[in-house]
Amino acid sequence: MEFFRDTKIDFMKYRKYFVMLSLTLLAVGMVAVFFHGKLNLGIDFAGGTQLTLKFREQPEIDELRDVVAAAGIAEAQIQRFGEEGANEVIIKTPTVEGQEEGTRNLVVDALSARYQTTTTGNFDLNQRGSDALADLLLALDPDELRATDEQMAAEHYENVALMILEQRRDEGLLVSWDEITGIPEVSTEVATALEQNAYLGQFAVLGAENVGPQIGAELRRKGILAVLASLVGMLIYIWFRFELRFGVGALVALSHDVLIVLGLFTLMGFEFNLTTIAAFLTLVGYSVNDTVVVFDRVRENLRRSRRKPLVDTINQSLNQTLSRTVLTSGTTILVVGSLFLLGGDVLRGFAFILTVGVTYSSIYVASPFTLLWEQIFGREARLRRKEA
Amino acid sequence: MNRSLLWRGAIIVAVVVLAVFAAHPLAEKLKLGLDLRGGIHLVLQVEVEDAARSETAKDMDRLLQELQDAGVQANGSPTSSSSFEVNGIPTDRDGTIGEIVVQFLPGWDWSRRGETVVFEMAPANLNEIKNLAVVQALETIRNRIDEFGVAEPVIQRQGLEGTRIVVQLPGVDDPERVKKLIKNTAFLEFRLVEYPLGGGGVPTRAEIDAQHGGVLPDHLEVLTGTVRDRQGAAIGEQYYLVEKRPVITGRDLKSARPGLGEFNQPVVNFYLTHEGGKLFAEATAANVGRGLAIVLDGNVVSAPNIRTRIGDSGIIEGSFTRQEVEDLSTVLRSGALPAGITYLEERTVGPALGQDSIEAGLKAGLIGLALVVVTMLLVYKGTGINAVVALILDIVILFGALAYFKATLTLPGIAGIVLTIGMAVDANVLVFERIREELRHGRTVKSAIEAGFGKALSSVMDANITTLIAALFLFQFGTGPIRGFAVTLSIGIVASLFTAIFVSRWIFDLVLAGRKRVDRLSI
Repeated sequence: MEFFRDTKIDFMKYRKYFVMLSLTLLAVGMVAVFFHGKLNLGIDFAGGTQLTLKFREQPEIDELRDVVAAAGIAEAQIQRFGEEGANEVIIKTPTVEGQEEGTRNLVVDALSARYQTTTTGNFDLNQRGSDALADLLLALDPDELRATDEQMAAEHYENVALMILEQRRDEGLLVSWDEITGIPEVSTEVATALEQNAYLGQFAVLGAENVGPQIGAELRRKGILAVLASLVGMLIYIWFRFELRFGVGALVALSHDVLIVLGLFTLMGFEFNLTTIAAFLTLVGYSVNDTVVVFDRVRENLRRSRRKPLVDTINQSLNQTLSRTVLTSGTTILVVGSLFLLGGDVLRGFAFILTVGVTYSSIYVASPFTLLWEQIFGREARLRRKEA
Repeated sequence: MNRSLLWRGAIIVAVVVLAVFAAHPLAEKLKLGLDLRGGIHLVLQVEVEDAARSETAKDMDRLLQELQDAGVQANGSPTSSSSFEVNGIPTDRDGTIGEIVVQFLPGWDWSRRGETVVFEMAPANLNEIKNLAVVQALETIRNRIDEFGVAEPVIQRQGLEGTRIVVQLPGVDDPERVKKLIKNTAFLEFRLVEYPLGGGGVPTRAEIDAQHGGVLPDHLEVLTGTVRDRQGAAIGEQYYLVEKRPVITGRDLKSARPGLGEFNQPVVNFYLTHEGGKLFAEATAANVGRGLAIVLDGNVVSAPNIRTRIGDSGIIEGSFTRQEVEDLSTVLRSGALPAGITYLEERTVGPALGQDSIEAGLKAGLIGLALVVVTMLLVYKGTGINAVVALILDIVILFGALAYFKATLTLPGIAGIVLTIGMAVDANVLVFERIREELRHGRTVKSAIEAGFGKALSSVMDANITTLIAALFLFQFGTGPIRGFAVTLSIGIVASLFTAIFVSRWIFDLVLAGRKRVDRLSI
């Protein structure tokens, strides 16, 4: 199957339209980033706490917001997470004065107070660790082992506690007592004792992240630096491998790519975090990679026919590499597209950047700018200026 | 078959066998990051200023003491964490200051400003103190974690001169407990009780205030203790009037172990150093019948009655759970932290969350792979098989290299692998397109292949080096998970160079070997 055999599209003739389209997208994007709604900075850069919670029943988001606000955290962001029916939510709070080490306990306590309906003891089997559970069981001693051998009793209950937590591990949340009574190591007495002295809380903390303000600021600085440094790195590489005019064209092209995708990314409301930086740096690499392949061809064609105007050579090269460009973009889009659709919530923003970035890539931006550079600073331009 | 073909084949087989060997069985050989296997990642700051401040206070006291011994009554006050000033030293005693400083305060610079003598810690000394504080904190934390019993913990100083420590603990089911354990100052003091004299506590503060008409003598203070039920939940408070000066502190402890008290309740058994034991024996012998408050971080955990002289060992009892007793013994044994600790960053991931991520990533990867394979076969027909073989070898080598270098696979790392699958075929595509072009120009199959590989090489290299440059910057910038991405992407790219140029070429040569004339290529 061949899609593009001997195409002779006059890309350069349409370059004005490409540039116009790009400038429009760019303007819209930058307005989105700087004026409208702004970038949704994740805790990596903004600092703050992010909790991933799993509930037994899907809680009302508004109600969660009220509970968290009542705990003294005004600007919490709360959203659903994971698959349908997973009953998972993410609660993101900014750094609270006096709670620089995180708002986890504040939020969890407030939610526990709101959602705890049972009054059987104060031991939440969905929150506590195995050692604490072993302690509780040893204190209750439902299997009546302590009278015989204290050490053996301790080991026995440690094992039972581990088995119960193992059961909690897979789903992250124990939903019914049947899950506990079904464990072979759990005797009827243990199950009964637990039902009387502990309870299955309404939610469990699947993950908790806290980034202090200091680290947030550092990551911001390092992130910006990494992106800028990689841009300069690319410029230098292309300058070294080709010529300055190509380097400038490539740099403009990939800045264009990054900014346009950043704009769309912001408009879509994705969270900007560490993985986002990874995605952008990859996009930088990919974008240059695309440009370089065209430039390689341009250089080869220039060597062959020096007389031909640069415009024609670029056009010819774009056509010759068109098939490759489309195919490689295609396979890349296939994989990042499946990542976008199936890769889970955490990687969605990452996949979005690459999907959009690769689709709207910039080989048709790099070349016009190389041409523009040539017209202003190039040999032909200098000659013309001399004549004038 | 010619020799070059054999040789190249042998190299390829060797690489693949090594990769398979390194990565088999995958579930065991692949090191999963904390974001996938679950665990806790902490970045903590050692408050080195604290250490400097306490050193400054100690040295200032020493100076004042030595001045007093030399007959100079002076008073001093700290002006920062590493400086203090002293007033009241007559100008003609500057020689004495010089002698004392040389002998007892070698790390200090001093100068006189009129009435005041200003002391500044020498920069080298200050750095040394701060550095020691971090080293000691690292050691203390390591001891605590070791005793806690976590498999494969990572406890590292961030940077050679950093004041931060990174702690990574896989598979911890109670992160809050670990955080407390690490940070625990566990400042232990034994103090004599003034009221109620026999120990125990009283339920209201008013009762204590009534004893002294509301005005406490200078050497006494009121402390509180929490009353707990059997499960460790707070149910009330008790008040104690105790002496400010402790009989002994945690520094006098040689060791501490969890044990059981007379009612089988959890207690801490402690053993004192020789010196501490002497102090303790004297104090207890002189105060039989009085209460002795066991104070932990300013809270009374219990205040038992001294029944007899206690030598160099004893028990700490309170309403502890076993877990608390274990943690307390660990902390007491591991020694005190030299300075306070602040958590700058925490990332805790439960195992359930990691499992979901792995499944989603795997699904996306497999479907992406299938789509790419189908595309290559559709576009390049027979030659597509060549690209598919190269792609699969690429993935095998990628996993082999990850296992061999003991690289950590993170969630972004999985994304890197998936991305590699899409981008790895780029090198094949560049070559195949070039072959097609050469065929169109009327070359024979063999020479078209020859020319295709030759001419595409520079593009292939350029394209991949740019991606590697980006990955390099990413690695420089990155924290754990992001580095994982940079690593998988880089390995994937390097491997794809090998498979798309070396392996793919070999397959062409192998298929065409021995045939005199090849008229058609399925491309």
